[in-house]
Amino acid sequence: MNKKRSALWKTSYILALIALPVILLLICLCIGRYFVSVPEVLECIAARFSDTDGINKMAYITVWNVRLPRLLLAFLVGAALSCAGLIFQSLFQNPLATPDTLGVAGGASFGAVLSILLGFTAIILQLVSFAFGCIAVSLTMLAARGKTRNMSTIVLSGIMMGSLFSALVSLVKFAADSEQQLPSITYWLMGSLQSATYKSIVIGMIPILISIVILFLLRWRLNLLLLSEEEAVSSGSNIRILRLAAILCATAATASSISMCGQVGWVGLIVPHMCRMALGNDHRYLLPASISLGGSFMIVVDTLARSMSASEIPISILTAIIGAPFFLFLMRKKGGWSL
Amino acid sequence: MILKIENGTFAYKKGSPLFSDVNFELNSGDIISILGPNGAGKTTMLRAIMGILPWSSGRSLLDNEDIKDLSPAKMWSKVSYVPQSHGIAGSYTILDSVLFGMTPKIGVFSSPGKEDIEHAESILDRLHLTKLSNRKCNELSGGELQMTLIARAMASDPGIIILDEPESNLDFKNQIIVLDTLTQLSAEGVGVLFNTHYPDHALRRSGKALLLDHGKVRFGATKEIITEENLADAFGVKAIIGRIETDSNQIDNVIPVSLLPNKSDTLEKEQPEDTETDTLASISIICSEFEESGKINTILHEYPDILFGRMGMPHRKRNVYLINVNLDGPKRRIEELSHRLSLLPSVSVKVTYVKEEEHL
Repeated sequence: MNKKRSALWKTSYILALIALPVILLLICLCIGRYFVSVPEVLECIAARFSDTDGINKMAYITVWNVRLPRLLLAFLVGAALSCAGLIFQSLFQNPLATPDTLGVAGGASFGAVLSILLGFTAIILQLVSFAFGCIAVSLTMLAARGKTRNMSTIVLSGIMMGSLFSALVSLVKFAADSEQQLPSITYWLMGSLQSATYKSIVIGMIPILISIVILFLLRWRLNLLLLSEEEAVSSGSNIRILRLAAILCATAATASSISMCGQVGWVGLIVPHMCRMALGNDHRYLLPASISLGGSFMIVVDTLARSMSASEIPISILTAIIGAPFFLFLMRKKGGWSL
Repeated sequence: MILKIENGTFAYKKGSPLFSDVNFELNSGDIISILGPNGAGKTTMLRAIMGILPWSSGRSLLDNEDIKDLSPAKMWSKVSYVPQSHGIAGSYTILDSVLFGMTPKIGVFSSPGKEDIEHAESILDRLHLTKLSNRKCNELSGGELQMTLIARAMASDPGIIILDEPESNLDFKNQIIVLDTLTQLSAEGVGVLFNTHYPDHALRRSGKALLLDHGKVRFGATKEIITEENLADAFGVKAIIGRIETDSNQIDNVIPVSLLPNKSDTLEKEQPEDTETDTLASISIICSEFEESGKINTILHEYPDILFGRMGMPHRKRNVYLINVNLDGPKRRIEELSHRLSLLPSVSVKVTYVKEEEHL
């Protein structure tokens, strides 16, 4: 391929990736039981910063208090999970790695479920869940230490820690009151963005933004993760610290997402692969693409989840139903790509 | 830049040492080869030398500083390593791969800038890889891949480059391309250390050689290490070292003949040629790069005791330098001198010895 043309192509691709979530956000702000037109949405947004006189109060509340926090949360969660999935795939050089490979999801779920059992408030639940996600990964890293430490033992320890925590989740379910707690536990586990409030977003946003910013700055260096051990060592960068930083960031982002909206499967697996198919393995392009595409994907999926039927469809069901066929379609069309 | 190994001993935990008392020095512009049977620990030795594996005792010094005490960034901007090639993971382009070699020079939170890319491109240009720069690494032939790995190693402008079997699995032509590159690097002042399975390549390219054999380490001038006796001892193979004469050079080559029935039966000691007796010889040298003649003089100055006559004449029309030297000394030293001269690129060397009957 011509070099200049390919550079131009990549630049326009990145520009498109910035525009995509913004446009989708505008469109999805309109959609719902109460329809708001695009000009109205823009008016509502403008009104926030000038004065609210003469504006449709109903539309204003719908846009600002109901839809926007939820869509922002969707974008954040999608971006965080896609980033984390991308990082774990590269880190373990394994196309099957997902954000919860190291047991984050299991730990965070246990924290959340335990909080429901103990009747904690939403904010406390979020914090406990985040804490347990981090604890689970710390335990994984501790378990993987020792003589035979390598990337495979870390993955295996992660899978073990994941099953341990999902057993604990089952134990909590078993102990829960089947009238009220059990349904809300089950519903939480399937994932929902219903609880989105600005307050919870602000709390959950901090670890996600910090992680994404760090990963974004490291984006070129992340390519070193795919090199063999010897090559990585002889590149002269401290590969251990790089790996640790990548694990910490991906974990924090995942734990925070799960603590806000429960387990959202598939995004972290599908979106990074879609980006790899289009862009290759260069994290300089992959990372921004994963952020944008992951966020956009979740915006669309969540809009469908809340507007397709009278009652809300759990998000994990939709991510799989939409994601899996779309992914297979792309894979067959695009052919092979390598991690 | 000097890489010095002092009393290097390496053992895996609970094992007896794989090799011990490794002592040698790699100076700028040297080429040193490491030979040894499969499993003798050649790769392990390279890793220990670079500190990827820790020495059990002894140490590696880079310009008199223990490698252990150097920061990874500092160490790997001076020394580059080309591991045995298994391909480069991920479908990066050649240019991207070469940029990886510049990691020590690029800030932790930044990406390669325009200057870095230009530098990488200049390296590709030097190794004649420019037309490949946008190809992907997983689409390359073995030879192209090896050259890419060398380009990556060169990207940090190292003083020393260490290669693990760089010419294995390559065809004739690519072997020469890779080995010529090593010779060229050493001519530019880079110290080169490489593992090889080919005694021929060691003889043709390296001034010094290290032969590794079940814990035994022999190190010295290549001509003295790669001998029929030592090869029999290390590999258990009867080999003949012959000399082929081309129009411009005399080339040593090693032909493996047969397995020795039992490794402990080393070659029946044929009456070893008495290499200590003085003999008369004349070496004729043609240097086709005028600038290289300085290097020839430097080498000749190291042999004042055996050199008794010398004539040098530039032939400006063709930009060549013709030198004739007369020597009187032990055959061993004469061989060593002619071998060192023959390692220089663009130099033709031939030795003529006096007839046996007229032996002085």
